[in-house]
Amino acid sequence: MTASKKIVLLGHFGVGKSSLIRRFVENEFSEDYIVTIGVHISKKTISINETDSASLIIWDIEGHDDVKKARASYLLGTHGFIYVVDLSRPVTFKNLETELSYLNEKFPKIPLKVVGNKKDLVTKQHIEQYSTILTPFIDYFTSAKTGNRVELLFSKLAKELL
Amino acid sequence: MLSTYKKKHHSNNFQYILIDKLGNIIEADNQTILNTTKVRFIQEIHPFFESVETLFTIKNEEFIFNCVNMDFDNKDCIVDIKIDTNETHSIIAIENLTSHYNNYQLTAQTRNESIINSQVLELKNNYLIEKEQFKSEFLSNFSHQLRNPITATSIFSRLLSETNLNSEQKNYIDIILSANRDLKNRIEDILELSKIESGKLILQEEVFNLKKFLKDIISGYVLLFKKKKLNFIIDIDDNVPEYVDADQFRLKQILGNLLNNALNYTSEGFIKLHISTNYVHAGKANLHIVVEDTGVGIDKNYHDVVFERFTKVDSNGNNNIGLGLSIVKHLVTKMNGNVSLESDLGKGSKFICNLSLKVVRDRNKIIDNNPLKHRKSFETKKKLLLIEDSELIQLSILKILSSDGNFFLNIISNGEDVISTILNEEYDIILISNTIQRYTAEDITKSIKETSKYYKRIPVLALSSEVFREDIKRYKASGIKDIIVKPFDKDSLLDKLYKYVKK
Repeated sequence: MTASKKIVLLGHFGVGKSSLIRRFVENEFSEDYIVTIGVHISKKTISINETDSASLIIWDIEGHDDVKKARASYLLGTHGFIYVVDLSRPVTFKNLETELSYLNEKFPKIPLKVVGNKKDLVTKQHIEQYSTILTPFIDYFTSAKTGNRVELLFSKLAKELL
Repeated sequence: MLSTYKKKHHSNNFQYILIDKLGNIIEADNQTILNTTKVRFIQEIHPFFESVETLFTIKNEEFIFNCVNMDFDNKDCIVDIKIDTNETHSIIAIENLTSHYNNYQLTAQTRNESIINSQVLELKNNYLIEKEQFKSEFLSNFSHQLRNPITATSIFSRLLSETNLNSEQKNYIDIILSANRDLKNRIEDILELSKIESGKLILQEEVFNLKKFLKDIISGYVLLFKKKKLNFIIDIDDNVPEYVDADQFRLKQILGNLLNNALNYTSEGFIKLHISTNYVHAGKANLHIVVEDTGVGIDKNYHDVVFERFTKVDSNGNNNIGLGLSIVKHLVTKMNGNVSLESDLGKGSKFICNLSLKVVRDRNKIIDNNPLKHRKSFETKKKLLLIEDSELIQLSILKILSSDGNFFLNIISNGEDVISTILNEEYDIILISNTIQRYTAEDITKSIKETSKYYKRIPVLALSSEVFREDIKRYKASGIKDIIVKPFDKDSLLDKLYKYVKK
């Protein structure tokens, strides 16, 4: 059985939302930064187990420094959220707790994964430096560039959604 | 005519699709935006419709999705989509706004790139600042750790040199003393630079005789140049002011570093020191200092880096550790002056320095600062209490004071014993180290001052390597009269003791 699930990626602009999707859907990466306006929608079907698979419809919406600024219609009918921060730019996660509280309050039953992207650009010490802001919230430290933990992120979320 | 245009414009940019609750396409116009002819369900056109299919079952609602990127059939378009639902059907109205949104994308691209770039730059800048701070703090802490052993080796070598030694032993001790001086100077250079770079350096201006000051410096170098068989040409112009109000220690550092640099890099020929006054304006003399040598010279490519810290360019262009010229540059800048270099490889070097000093013509302001004048014997020996936990420093001070012969010394190593000690005996002067465990020199001083009326007027001096302005302010606020800076030597210790102990 294949179930169709809508996943929305949220986060500041330039954190690598589109790159994560491109890595997951096409297994490709580009260093060029192309600003997303509005929403791009991609689809990928993955098998969850021998009998079930999930058709993930991934909404890549334009980045905002405040999650409240995201267009409300884009979030309608969402099954799962992925909130992405750029580990190399603290400004993208300085309000992480507030952002996540808002999402949890507004969409209490919808699974949410928090991702620290661009892991390839930062050192362990850098992450430790911000551990009080990051550690309690980040589910996956990913790199769209190397592909590290990208597949895992989507497949884990897909399993949770089924 | 207007209605014809409207119809044409409308038909090109709008598409209306009628569907049932399952997404079955019942009717669709204008196939230039979405081609519906090949599919039965709207969900098959694009995943967007698949993810909003639940909305088709909601009755009498309107949903608007702006700026949806649709890519299919190798064609990209950006559209606004309105879904109007009723009892049995939904109307999907699509407006093609590709060119409008593409223009917006260009603006957003420029804006976001510029914001991200400035954030990244700020981060890099902060990182560099932190790195510099760490380096300065490390150097400063490391140098402080070295002060006690350097003080001790310096004092004991000096004491040893005053005992009965044969000529070979005297020779060895001279080498130790010279190496120790060198080490002490290097440590001080590091501290100086970290102090200067952290912006904590304050010029301590005082009136002094500039001509005599220059004469003293020069006489110190005459022997050194003679030893290296170098001709030392001194050219001090008569127009150099006699008395100035300036920081003579810093001025000495500038001249000393320039002369040392010349000395280190010249093996034959001459070193010339020229000092004159460029002009006097608004009570300030603009001093022109030139130190010229016939040494190895510096390749023109390295002129920019010689004033940077930890850069010393030798004749092969190799960099070695060096702080002297960097200190000169910082100090001259602090004195609102400038320093430049004329040199080329194998052709010697000429360092040119211009700086302004306040000229003093009022004789009343001129005071004699010779510390030796204060050193007079007392009728009875003075009682000195030393609170110091380093045995090396305890022993060093003990040796200095016993050779001087004017002080009784009592030593305690911890803060707990201070009050009971001073209650048993009335001391004439107290020295407190800033390294006492669990207590700061300020805390101990405050307790001493609160003990009795007698101790309120007894001078307390700190033995410390903390010499920044805020440290001095903190010390003074607690009642500490002055600081004996580590590493110290016999003269610097005795000068301060004689200055403050009541006759």
